[in-house]
Amino acid sequence: MIERTVYRTIDRIGDPALRRAAESLARLVLENWFYALVVLVLWQFPAIVADLSGSEVTPRRPTGESAFWQSEMARALVLACLAMSYNLLFGYNGIISFGHALFFGAGGYITFILLARVDQSYQQEALIAVLAVVLALAILTRITARRLVTLALGGVLLVLLLVPNTPGMTFYQAAALAVLGSIGLSLISGVVTLRLRGIYFTMFTLALAEMFFVLAKSGTFRNVTGAEDGLGFGDLLPAALNPTPTGDGSRLQMYRVTIVFFVIVFLAIRRYLNSPVGRVIVAIRENEERARTIGYNTFFYKLLTMIFAGVIATLSGVLFVIWATDKRVHPEMLSLKFTVDPLLHTLIGGVGTLTGPVVAALGLILGETYLRNETFTLETEVLGLVPLWQFAVGLIAALLILFLRRTLRPAIHRLAGDGGRWSVLGAYLALWIVVSAAGLVAGGQVVPDLDLQDEVFDVSDLWDLFLGIVFVIVVMLLPHGIVGTWNRFWITRRIRRMERALQREKAP
Amino acid sequence: MQTYWTNLTPQHRRSWLLVVVYVALLLAISWLDFGYNTAGQTVFRGILLGMLVFLVASGLSLIFGLLDVLNFAQGAFLLIGAYVGYDIYHSLDASVEVRFLAAIGGGVLLVAAIGAVMEAGLIRPLYERPIFQIVLTFGLAAIFLDFVERIYGRNPKQPLSPPPLLNEKFTLFQQSLSVYRLFIIGLGLAMMIGVYILLNRTRIGIIIRAGVQDPEMVQALGINVRRVFTLVFILGSALAALGGIALVPYQGATLEMGNQFLILAIVVVVIGGMGSYEGTAVASIVVGLTRAVAEQLSLEHFDAPVLAETSILLLMIAVLLVQPSGLFGRGE
Amino acid sequence: MSATPTPAHILEVRGIHTFIGEFHILEGVTVEVPPGSITVLLGRNGAGKTTTLRSIIGLAPPRAGEIAFKGVPIHGLRAHKIAQMGIGYVPEKRIIFRDLTVGENLLIAERDKGDLERKADFIFGLFPDLKRLYHLPGGHLSGGQQQMLAIARALVADNSLLLIDEPSEGLAPVLIEHMMEAIRQLSASTTVLLVEQNFQVASQLAERYVIIEEGISVHSGLMADLVQDKALITTYLGVA
Repeated sequence: MIERTVYRTIDRIGDPALRRAAESLARLVLENWFYALVVLVLWQFPAIVADLSGSEVTPRRPTGESAFWQSEMARALVLACLAMSYNLLFGYNGIISFGHALFFGAGGYITFILLARVDQSYQQEALIAVLAVVLALAILTRITARRLVTLALGGVLLVLLLVPNTPGMTFYQAAALAVLGSIGLSLISGVVTLRLRGIYFTMFTLALAEMFFVLAKSGTFRNVTGAEDGLGFGDLLPAALNPTPTGDGSRLQMYRVTIVFFVIVFLAIRRYLNSPVGRVIVAIRENEERARTIGYNTFFYKLLTMIFAGVIATLSGVLFVIWATDKRVHPEMLSLKFTVDPLLHTLIGGVGTLTGPVVAALGLILGETYLRNETFTLETEVLGLVPLWQFAVGLIAALLILFLRRTLRPAIHRLAGDGGRWSVLGAYLALWIVVSAAGLVAGGQVVPDLDLQDEVFDVSDLWDLFLGIVFVIVVMLLPHGIVGTWNRFWITRRIRRMERALQREKAP
Repeated sequence: MQTYWTNLTPQHRRSWLLVVVYVALLLAISWLDFGYNTAGQTVFRGILLGMLVFLVASGLSLIFGLLDVLNFAQGAFLLIGAYVGYDIYHSLDASVEVRFLAAIGGGVLLVAAIGAVMEAGLIRPLYERPIFQIVLTFGLAAIFLDFVERIYGRNPKQPLSPPPLLNEKFTLFQQSLSVYRLFIIGLGLAMMIGVYILLNRTRIGIIIRAGVQDPEMVQALGINVRRVFTLVFILGSALAALGGIALVPYQGATLEMGNQFLILAIVVVVIGGMGSYEGTAVASIVVGLTRAVAEQLSLEHFDAPVLAETSILLLMIAVLLVQPSGLFGRGE
Repeated sequence: MSATPTPAHILEVRGIHTFIGEFHILEGVTVEVPPGSITVLLGRNGAGKTTTLRSIIGLAPPRAGEIAFKGVPIHGLRAHKIAQMGIGYVPEKRIIFRDLTVGENLLIAERDKGDLERKADFIFGLFPDLKRLYHLPGGHLSGGQQQMLAIARALVADNSLLLIDEPSEGLAPVLIEHMMEAIRQLSASTTVLLVEQNFQVASQLAERYVIIEEGISVHSGLMADLVQDKALITTYLGVA
């Protein structure tokens, strides 16, 4: 509506140059106003929480709602970035990796091992290594002299920049090296694994990540990784990035750095997908064979996406560690959890949608935090044990019927006769009542024995179960996820409207 | 035997040779390094582990071969089997033999029922969306684990005592062992042979093997292939549960063992080649042996238990590099 | 539907529309197969001939239209139910089960125990090679042998209608002769609906034809008439 008015107004501008400028400006605003609004809300989020709860934005001690929610929101944003990177691989390029946690953990581990464990300068060794690689390339491959020189100079420059000649490096150098390490990891694992097909690739990545998880956890390398305790880094963070002291507002500052990171990741992924490369990777997802026969080196594009997603995951890992509550790099970062979580966020939000993973990640993580902070008392006096049980049985019966509806369809239609949609609905309802009643009768003997009086529920106990059920429901009923379904709804509506308009035009 | 060999593809013949050479190498290393008796003990342990893994992996492989579903809930099935078996064993008031058999029967039946409901209700509607099936089993595995934890608690369960007949001791390679270990090996072997006979000597087996290649064509011949799918899913779940119960008298029950064995089973299935039954059987033994020898090696030389844990993953990576579709998989 | 107790046609396909994914492949195909005949579906590559066979057997169920076999509607039934009513399907590209022996490939098609034993003489009479290769895995057979096995498999059960997809595809001329002879022999006892690209083969085998063009059945009649009608052949089949 607004859109049409704006563009119509712009069309009336006489000067073509001015019109084009106005048009691109209008497009920029119209396509991004919603995102800008979201960023604005995120930016002001600490203040909003502070106003709502009556706490301080930068309290003297690390307490208070606002300070707490700053770190939670930051953590959620970081995990949303991880989910977006996973979605880039899974949703847009069709690569199902079960080893994404490897890159996430690599960020934390490489950065903080370099910071905490390296107490001498390795600049000379690094320079020698670079020259050795260049020499090997010169001897073993037919690389042109110009490229060789560029490579050598670039390598030396990188070493001089990132590896100091005095003991100890800065955080930024360590993080940059982690990114380099992540690229190297992508290259090595990509060259090996991308040859594999389908399920073998998935299993290989799973095994690779599991192996590093086991290595990080094992006591053998305790003096490097800290084994199961992880790697504490307390004061190794530069003051500007340390969210722990709260009095001077550095938490707020780091929170804003996180938002900036999130926005950059989002824009980078969007840019990547809208570029020619992005179109090729979607083509590969749709039909790799065909993309190859058109003449694209699909291996290269897949590798590129893997590197890109890996770097984002690595940086997310670094930020995640900074926001971690116990100031430690923990082996859990390499565990399956940080592959499954982004996978869940991608699926629930919508595979292959830009905003889906973000919506799901923020919703689930913040929801979990919120629920875990509350304790719920199940008052049997008020709610009653029996109604709760009945509710549960009813729900299970409904889900059962929902899942079995294909099998049940013929029976239902026989029951409903030719009465149309409402009698079909009625038949389903009748079936539901019968199944529920049967469940109640069958379970009636069991339940009164349960001793469940005024029990205090700790949500942390039930959260995983809840998440699992949400997940199953989404997989079964919303194959396109939340955002995907939403998008489809609007697209079909628009198509219908267009069809109707066409018909009206056809009719005299 | 001869026809078996001549009917093999060259790739599979090479795989057989690789396996023989590799196992011979393992045996030689352990004999030379550990001495006769310790080597014998290690190999025995390896075979035992291999048999246990086989029970989980064979189900995984069968289900994957026919249904194209990588059932991540297989580990959870093992877990449910173990805990329910444990529960039945302790809640019954009868002789040890009866309780033990009831534990096996009850656990297997319950898990088979869960498998049936899961296949018919949740997996079947998703045959057009294969990725979602994998993801669904992943989620269900988490839910099952959560249920077991909620019902039986976090604490590990003590090993239960098998019937006295199986509890006797025997000496092998100068080590006194419980007969129960032989029972596990026997069970594994029996299942190995039993499923082999089922696949090769019965009509349902012919249908399963045909369905692995082309379920649509099987259906076009007038066979209700979906029903066979369900049957195979039930069989796979039941095998995992059997493995779980067999484990309880041996090492008790812990919440972690589901995922431990799942990872082992996945490695086995990948090494053996997805959907290949003989591959799964061979790879189970190979993985069991590798694990046991690596454990013993790290114990004697390196003081690095991590070697044992990563050895099979390294093995899997090595196999995939040599043969990207597993030892006995069908190269595409 | 069931007004006539003995229908004139063993198979009646009326105006079916079939989708594969989002693609509308068949947009109205009508085929009538009288009992005891050989009918052939003709048309260019991608016209929808194979999809028509798959729609009949139920592997690609039509969204609209009707299919009746011996007067009984079968559209919407699952494939195995349709096959059990007595329809044999020989897919294109000779899909046999490579890991199964020739014997097992035949045994799997049994609908009642002992079917193979009963039909052994007939089947091995048609294809004597198969008896010799009985214990060999299907994957070891040559192209022609695989095609024979695929057809033999459809003969094991008592089928009154055979759907055969491209039996001559990729076979040497000598083998094509053999194949045609076999199909002619078995058509004495069963009705055959054939898809055939090779017009020479089709015109020698079939008594009736249906031409499918871009998912629509545009023409049908007696093969004897089609052979005379050069204009029609050029328009739809591109063969001179």
